[in-house]
Amino acid sequence: MHPPTTVVVPLLFGSIATGSGAAILAWRERPNPGATPLVWLLGGQSVWATCIIFSLSAESVSETLTWTKLGWIGVMIVPVAWILFALEYTGRDQYITRRSVALLSVVPVLTVCLAVTEQYHGLLYVRPAGVTVDGAVVAEQGGLWYGVAAAYTYLLGVLGIVPILGLVSSRATAFRGQSAALLVGITTPWATNILYNAGALPSAGIDPTPIAFAVSGVAYLGAIRRFRMFGANPAPTWRAKEFLFDHIHEGAIVVDGHDTIVEINQTGAAVLGVDVDRALGSPASELLPVNGPIQADGGRDFLTVGTESTSQSYDVTVTELTDRRDHTLGFVFTLHNVTRYLQQQQRLKVLNRVLRHNIRTEANIIQGYAERTADETAETIKRRTMRIVELSEKGRDAIDLFEDAVGEWNQSSLDSIVGDCLAGARDAFPDVAFELERPTEDATIPDGAAVVVNNLIENAAVHNAGSDPRVSVSAWVESDRAVVQIADNGPGIDEYELDILDSGTETPLRHGSGLGLWLVKWGTETIGGSVDFEPAEPTGTIATLTVPLSGSDGRTPAPRDG
Amino acid sequence: MASKTNDPAAHADDIVSRRGEVSASLAHTCSRIKDVLTYSSAYLVFIAMIEVLTVHLVLSLPLNPAPVVVGLVTFSVYAGDRIADADSDALSTPERSAFVTRHREALSLLTAGAYGVAIAIAITGGPLALAITLLPGGFWILYASDWFPTLGRRFKRLKQILVVNSAMVASAWAIAVVGLPLAFAEATVTPLSGVVFVYFLVDTFVNTEIPNVRDVEADAADGVSTLPVVFGIRRTRHALYGLDLFLVAFVALTLAFGPLTVALAGAILVGLGYALVLAWFVGRTNAPGRLAIAGESKHLVVFALLLVSTAGI
Repeated sequence: MHPPTTVVVPLLFGSIATGSGAAILAWRERPNPGATPLVWLLGGQSVWATCIIFSLSAESVSETLTWTKLGWIGVMIVPVAWILFALEYTGRDQYITRRSVALLSVVPVLTVCLAVTEQYHGLLYVRPAGVTVDGAVVAEQGGLWYGVAAAYTYLLGVLGIVPILGLVSSRATAFRGQSAALLVGITTPWATNILYNAGALPSAGIDPTPIAFAVSGVAYLGAIRRFRMFGANPAPTWRAKEFLFDHIHEGAIVVDGHDTIVEINQTGAAVLGVDVDRALGSPASELLPVNGPIQADGGRDFLTVGTESTSQSYDVTVTELTDRRDHTLGFVFTLHNVTRYLQQQQRLKVLNRVLRHNIRTEANIIQGYAERTADETAETIKRRTMRIVELSEKGRDAIDLFEDAVGEWNQSSLDSIVGDCLAGARDAFPDVAFELERPTEDATIPDGAAVVVNNLIENAAVHNAGSDPRVSVSAWVESDRAVVQIADNGPGIDEYELDILDSGTETPLRHGSGLGLWLVKWGTETIGGSVDFEPAEPTGTIATLTVPLSGSDGRTPAPRDG
Repeated sequence: MASKTNDPAAHADDIVSRRGEVSASLAHTCSRIKDVLTYSSAYLVFIAMIEVLTVHLVLSLPLNPAPVVVGLVTFSVYAGDRIADADSDALSTPERSAFVTRHREALSLLTAGAYGVAIAIAITGGPLALAITLLPGGFWILYASDWFPTLGRRFKRLKQILVVNSAMVASAWAIAVVGLPLAFAEATVTPLSGVVFVYFLVDTFVNTEIPNVRDVEADAADGVSTLPVVFGIRRTRHALYGLDLFLVAFVALTLAFGPLTVALAGAILVGLGYALVLAWFVGRTNAPGRLAIAGESKHLVVFALLLVSTAGI
């Protein structure tokens, strides 16, 4: 072989050196997403450049033509490898199957076959077109299929650029750098090739595209080393979005601005009892409980599907999707299964009725029979019966708390709640001395606070067995919260009781003496407040309830549990 | 007065101290250079280039880029292998593993760049030179990687298969060392070049098995079957004796009936005598790393003898 001395040859050598080196680096990064296609891409460009050098340094015309034809192998590897790289690197590897790779390879394989057999058809001709000043034979290429191959190459180039472009605006700097380097790496040779085919480059008949691949090699090396292309990879982000949409427990349905379902996850399709493929493209109003035009955040609606015994109820939430200019693109319907919640609510209603009416009625009857006798046993029966009634009332209060917790709280004034609670306590415990320090500034708070204050006062009074039982109640407002403090001079709350409250549950062997303190705990939780118990000097307890103030509209949503 | 009388003494201390610092610094620098040469496999580059120059000398080939290409490929493949095996080498060669891990980034870039440059230079020698240059890299991929990951358990890494692993390494290097100068020179293959090829093939096989004695525990843990792992160290030593003696017989026969000259045969036989002595130390030395380096250094001896006999240096 005679060494070519054309000026482009050193550049081709540089392209091969950087391309091969980058290919080795990429090879070592396997199995990171994109590494293997990048090896093929860099290998393809190196093969292309190598074949050009061999064709230029060939000692006969036929040898030149052979190397030019073989160069098509490298030429056609590049676009296929590029599109596979772009898909894998950006996490769209689900599109990379044996079938898709085979389909992508049809045109390249055909092109190589046509190049090798060009003398029989002329669809992709490779002809000697003269001799350079250095004595190298220059091959001219063309034909109908040349245009097809070029168009196919450009098409795959653009298709590969699209997902990479998406990363240019990524919030992660590393991904922006990587994608920018990749875009430089791919657009430089493509632009060179387009200019060469358009006759805009003075290259003495030699395709300078592989020279531009030297720039690609440097760009890819920069992406790999400087921007840690295989150390920080964006591939999971795309898949994560799909994964989250497909696998969240809630049903999710995306509807466009024309009432057409454009995306639906498996859960959503299962809820609606339709196949995903059938649901896509269907009118949303036929499948979803939509009355009139869709309005986001326009209140909640329930969707019940199935027969009565196996029916499931779903809370339907509609969220608007907008573009950057706040124009409505569509809506996302999320279906949250609330069947168990609704069942629980029904059970609470039944329990409430039983506690409210049946127990009190039965207790009254027992008391009536007990009053017919007048001994000590009758007194015990009456006292214990009253205890049952009290317990049922507390149970009812608890149920009210739970029901209100999932709805919205009614609001009351802090002053009136404290005043009413203390008035009730004075009637119930005439032997106890009560003091009240009213708030200087009134505020609106959830009326669930009344249950808590009532029980705290009752707790302070009922367990105070001293000779001079006293309970003082004071209330005030601190910025955005109301504080109610109940202090007594009783024996203090047993640490055991407070420990049980802190643990949040009871067991058969470890339980409190009643429901009072539980009502305090549940009540403060459901109104979003807190309560602290401190020992008083010399004896007693100071209970401090803190409650957030309600909004200016007088009603505030209760905090949702779960 | 006291300060004056003390001045010269303090000055002398300073000089002694500075001399001490300079010598310590020099020793440190030398130690670092030695580490770089041995741990990065750079010394092998030098030996590989000498091997190619030996081929030039024996086959009377004009000087061409083959030694540079083989040197670059040697560095790329060996240092690349050490990067790949840095974790498993921590057991057998902890210092080397630590060095490679510490400089992984730079070594990775250098090895990739070295192979890229080697390929670019090889292209000037034509398609055959390029193919031969790609061979060690291709063999290394076959040798070290899970090349048949989807074909079931029967196909394990070639690196794990007894004899095949060392034979692959030896073949790749023998083809590169002998074939590349021929390809660059566009020379034809002669019986003498065949003899030289067999010599480098068997000799490289021996030199590949010597370090395996040191790596026996790590190789066994990694599932790599080598002569020491399968047959034990004593039998490995006997196998190495056998291979070296085979080469002695081969050289004697080719001297008697083939193209080998007396000068060439003498140089090779001296080298083989050196190799037999080294084989005796296999499993009997506390410095197996030095033994491996000494085994590779045999080519320096042969080359020096050839230079003396042919050029009269």
